[in-house]
Amino acid sequence: MADSATMQDTEFHKADSGASTTFPMQCSSLRKNGHVVLKGRPCKIVEMSTSKTGKHGHAKVHMVGIDIFNGKKYEDICPSTHNMDVPNVTRLDYQVDGYMSLLKDNGDQKEDLKLPTNDLGKEIQSKFEAGDSFMVSNTPFALCWECTTSGICKGQCIERRSLSGK
Amino acid sequence: MVSPEQRQHAEHIFLSFRKSKSPFAVCKHILETSKVDYVLFQAATAVMEAVVREWVLLEKSSIESLRTFLLTYVLQRPNLQKYVREQVLLAVAVIVKRGSLDKSINCKSIFQEVGQLITSGNPTIQTLACSILMALLGEFSSSSKTSSIGLSMEFHGSCKRVFQEEDLKQIFMLTVEVLQEFSRQDNLNAQMSSVFQKYLALANQVLSWNFLPPNHILSVPKHYMAMLESTQNVTLKPTESWREALLDTRVMDLFFTVRPTYLLAYLSVDLPTYTSPYIPTYLPSCLFTYLPTYLPTYQSLIEMEDSEAVGISNIISNMISMFPRSVLTALPSDLFTSFINCLTLLTCSFGRSAALEEVLDKDDMVYMEAYDRLLEAWLTLVQDDEHFPRGCFVQSAVQVFNGYIQCHLAAPDGTRNLSGNGVTSTEDEEIHEIQEDDRELFSDQLASIGTLGRVAADHCIPLLTSLLEDRVTRLHGQLQRTQQHLMAASDPATVDRKVLDDLYEDIHWLLLVSGCLLADDPQGETPLIPAEVMDFSISHSTEVDINTTLQIMGSPGEKASSIPGFDRTDTVVRLLSAVLRTSEVESRATRASLTTLLSPQMGKDIVWFLRRWAKTYLLVDEKLYQQVSIPLVTAFGADTEGAQWIVGYLLEKVISNLSVWSSEPELANDTVELLVTLVERRERANMVVQCENWWNLAKQFASRSPPLHLLSSSVQRNLMKALVLGGFAHMDADTKQQYWAEVLHPLQQRFLNLINQENFAQISQETAVRQEITATLEALCGIAEATQIDNVAALFSFLMEFLSSCIGLMEVYRNTPETINLIIEVFVEVAHKQICYLGEVKSMRLYEACLTLLQVYSKNNMGRRRGESTAEEDQYQDLLLIMELLTNLLSKEFIDFSDTDEVFRGQDQGTGTTTRPVSAADVVLYGVNIVLPLMSQDLLKFPSLCNQYYKLITFICEIFPEKIPQLPEELFKSLMFSLELGMTSMSSEVSQLCLEALSPLAEQCAKNQDKESPLFIATRHFLKLVFDMLVLQKHSMEMTVAAGEALYTLVCLHQVEYSELVEALLASQRDAVIYQRLADAFNKLSASSTPPTMDRKQKVAFLKSLEEFVSNVGGLLCVK
Repeated sequence: MADSATMQDTEFHKADSGASTTFPMQCSSLRKNGHVVLKGRPCKIVEMSTSKTGKHGHAKVHMVGIDIFNGKKYEDICPSTHNMDVPNVTRLDYQVDGYMSLLKDNGDQKEDLKLPTNDLGKEIQSKFEAGDSFMVSNTPFALCWECTTSGICKGQCIERRSLSGK
Repeated sequence: MVSPEQRQHAEHIFLSFRKSKSPFAVCKHILETSKVDYVLFQAATAVMEAVVREWVLLEKSSIESLRTFLLTYVLQRPNLQKYVREQVLLAVAVIVKRGSLDKSINCKSIFQEVGQLITSGNPTIQTLACSILMALLGEFSSSSKTSSIGLSMEFHGSCKRVFQEEDLKQIFMLTVEVLQEFSRQDNLNAQMSSVFQKYLALANQVLSWNFLPPNHILSVPKHYMAMLESTQNVTLKPTESWREALLDTRVMDLFFTVRPTYLLAYLSVDLPTYTSPYIPTYLPSCLFTYLPTYLPTYQSLIEMEDSEAVGISNIISNMISMFPRSVLTALPSDLFTSFINCLTLLTCSFGRSAALEEVLDKDDMVYMEAYDRLLEAWLTLVQDDEHFPRGCFVQSAVQVFNGYIQCHLAAPDGTRNLSGNGVTSTEDEEIHEIQEDDRELFSDQLASIGTLGRVAADHCIPLLTSLLEDRVTRLHGQLQRTQQHLMAASDPATVDRKVLDDLYEDIHWLLLVSGCLLADDPQGETPLIPAEVMDFSISHSTEVDINTTLQIMGSPGEKASSIPGFDRTDTVVRLLSAVLRTSEVESRATRASLTTLLSPQMGKDIVWFLRRWAKTYLLVDEKLYQQVSIPLVTAFGADTEGAQWIVGYLLEKVISNLSVWSSEPELANDTVELLVTLVERRERANMVVQCENWWNLAKQFASRSPPLHLLSSSVQRNLMKALVLGGFAHMDADTKQQYWAEVLHPLQQRFLNLINQENFAQISQETAVRQEITATLEALCGIAEATQIDNVAALFSFLMEFLSSCIGLMEVYRNTPETINLIIEVFVEVAHKQICYLGEVKSMRLYEACLTLLQVYSKNNMGRRRGESTAEEDQYQDLLLIMELLTNLLSKEFIDFSDTDEVFRGQDQGTGTTTRPVSAADVVLYGVNIVLPLMSQDLLKFPSLCNQYYKLITFICEIFPEKIPQLPEELFKSLMFSLELGMTSMSSEVSQLCLEALSPLAEQCAKNQDKESPLFIATRHFLKLVFDMLVLQKHSMEMTVAAGEALYTLVCLHQVEYSELVEALLASQRDAVIYQRLADAFNKLSASSTPPTMDRKQKVAFLKSLEEFVSNVGGLLCVK
């Protein structure tokens, strides 16, 4: 990777691509670091614990999740036998090949993503201009929840996570 | 309002005032004129600090007049604030103590003065006298209560020794006199009674004195340490000179007439130290007579203070544990009986009060503590019962057992949750997962009750059986009624759970007690049926109809009493049958879709009981017992239909639970533990694999379909472990092959199919793919956990094929930390469980795999940014795992069972000779290269990371000292820095590890003889550190050994530097006497090994004389 970089893209399968955006899962089998829909938002689970009401009560699961797009925290508590919606999250890795013309692993081009207007965008640009070799890690460089459900990307949804030199 | 700045400024003024030179005149003036309490307090403090600071410069006469001034000052001002008065008296006490070093000052007069104060008869003055004595006790105890006066611990020690021989005894006598005076008076007014209380407290203080042994050579360092610790729960070990004072009958009488709590300290007298005919007759008989007659009346007449419950239980437990057994057995039989009766009454009463405390949810559970102490006492008694008349504890055991059961059953049979006025209180509180289960929370209590239940097996086993049978019948009925209620289309919310919950709670306790009565839970030993239970079964075996017994056991669907002849059955089997019936009622309720009505807690109790029972009773081995019960052996002995039936039943239960209760993690966990128990012993496993259900379970798990894949990861791991263990049961070759084809091959096949897909890298992050990968990795950990010596060959080969694929996954999932951690964990487990069995060639293969893993990890780790500084420990899980892996690899150097010929027969021939060998050292040092730069000081604040890190680097220094000098400069430096840091500023455990690492390093230097090498220079620095540590700082005994060994090897290496250190230390001594003592001590120490060489014999000699050295002069240099 001399003058290209890897980017990751968290993406929901659109309904028309064959897979649904969420699927149900028994609450007790959710895992920390996995995903779940809390209060209608796709979240990464950062905390999970169980409790019960009374010694002979049934387990309830307490979850804390971070919205994978806007970083907001959501919490929920639910009987462990219930089903929760799990978002179908896929992270794609892109080869960045020139100015925001992304090359997928399978060779397809993806050009519908604008360079973000935030600091991350500036950073990417300056790194490219300097010819730096770098890697963007753990970055949901992404179509956001709303974009996926509406089917149109407005390019506003790119979120910053971290950018590290290599 | 006072601003923080003003406050700081004021503090500063007081602090500098206290440091001012010769402030005596000013302080006197302040004390006499100021009206501000706080200023008075500060003036007293300033006087105290200045006297100590300027002691040598002061005229002895002026010190004495200062002391007189302070004492008179307090005497003339009875209305001083308490804290001011105490501070002034503290100054007096410090002067007295400091003065005891100077023979020129007569400090004995203080006792005469105090004596006069006491006889004054004026309560205010008597209180003051008491305060003076308290202050003196505190100062001379040389404990944490003692003020720092900048003198050596040896000074503190010898002061204490002199004090305890004379002055302390005098204080004791004075106190006793006062108390006698008070106890002769009938009506004490409030003021008098408060003085009385103060003197009782003083007596208590004296009797809790932590006596220093008179011989000051004996293990003194330990005592210097002990002096600095708090003086809680000290056993009174008075010196010989105290004998008469303590055993004076008047003293005894006194203590028996005042409140029993004050006996507490008195009774902890360590009798075995008195071998003369004085006490063993007098004291115990006095006590044993006293307690039974006194305690019951005490309880009914005077409201017992809660705090006294603990005191009384301590007295009794001390009487039972401290007196020699012969004291108890020599008691006249009526006295012994009344003592035992009294103990029984008290135990039952405390048990009831403890239950009440629980209902009221009190913070301070004094009765619970007292009850626990008494149960411990019972345990001591009944475990020694061969000394006592046969059966003498049975009645008591029945009562205590009944009492316990009663407190834990709901009304009307029991009193659970009944508060004092008979009102039931039940509240459903939120219980978090971290809260311990009752079986752990009350494990000691349950074990004691179980033991007492065995003592009275004739009563207790039938009692438990009938209670459990009754509750199960009621539960069954209640569930049926609820079902009908629900079928009448009612809202489930209208179901009243109160009756059900009461039954669940009853059954919960009955199961716990039954489990603890029937079996122990020994760690690592073969569990045996308790002798009492076996005897009980044998003694009734002639009246028992075995067929009916078996019929009841085999019909968990039926009520026991519905089977003809049910009253002529073995009760031990009946108790198990009652549990099986509970289990059956639960299972049938789940089949009737009533799961929501059931209690997961009861589900846990059932499988917990069955596991504990199965370990001990299932396939009972007749050879282990002198005599066996025919009913037990017929019901579940080896090669019996009964055993085969139970195995089948338990397996069915496990399978049902795993699907019904997948949403209850703890219950699923207990269930899978039962499964592991069933297969971990070969004999049981042989029966398990004959069940068709077992094969179904295996297939179902391998297909990764619901409901098993819903289970938590730890349950899945354990399930895999059980399935693998089962595979080593006895089967014919075809069956075995088929079994592995069902269990392991699908795992491999699914995994290979997935990762060999062309687009694996693209789909790798899809949820389903990640789940599959995670499940596979968890399963691999489970397989590794199933390793035993006789299956390691097969499992190692199987796992090795996965390890290289796992490394490929490291690349794919480099940005998914949780998956990376799981991959490393597989390596950790394989190394942990298997390395000790692997021969050379196999080890090499594992080393190579680990090395590749580390290389990939290192490459991917570069430039990786972790979370912010607020990061939590689990952010560094990967680092911890890598260190664990390296430590596990190194552990082979300590524990190695490998016998290539035996374990890997015929597998190793002709392989492995051509490849370049990778050694453990290569892998570990490569790993250290990665880990060391990442281990910042911040990370060492996480205890788990810190401990693992130091364990690792100590191992390396011990095993590969020759590799240390070859490390790159930066790495070497940070390793040395880590050692220094660990020695000086970490926990004592870490410090000890680091000290242990030093010897091998010094030995390495000695071999090399390169005086310029960085390691040589580093060891010189360590010499000074260890020297200072041993000579100048407080340290524990364990540390002396570790530090001593390190010191010796370092001294061998740097003899000149060592002499310089000694010279420098001596040169800094101004006192000629101390100089001489130190110089002599050092000479003696060096003489033990001249010249010091790395020779075991000399080293031992050095360590021995080092111990003497520390005892001799260690206290001189350690200052408080």
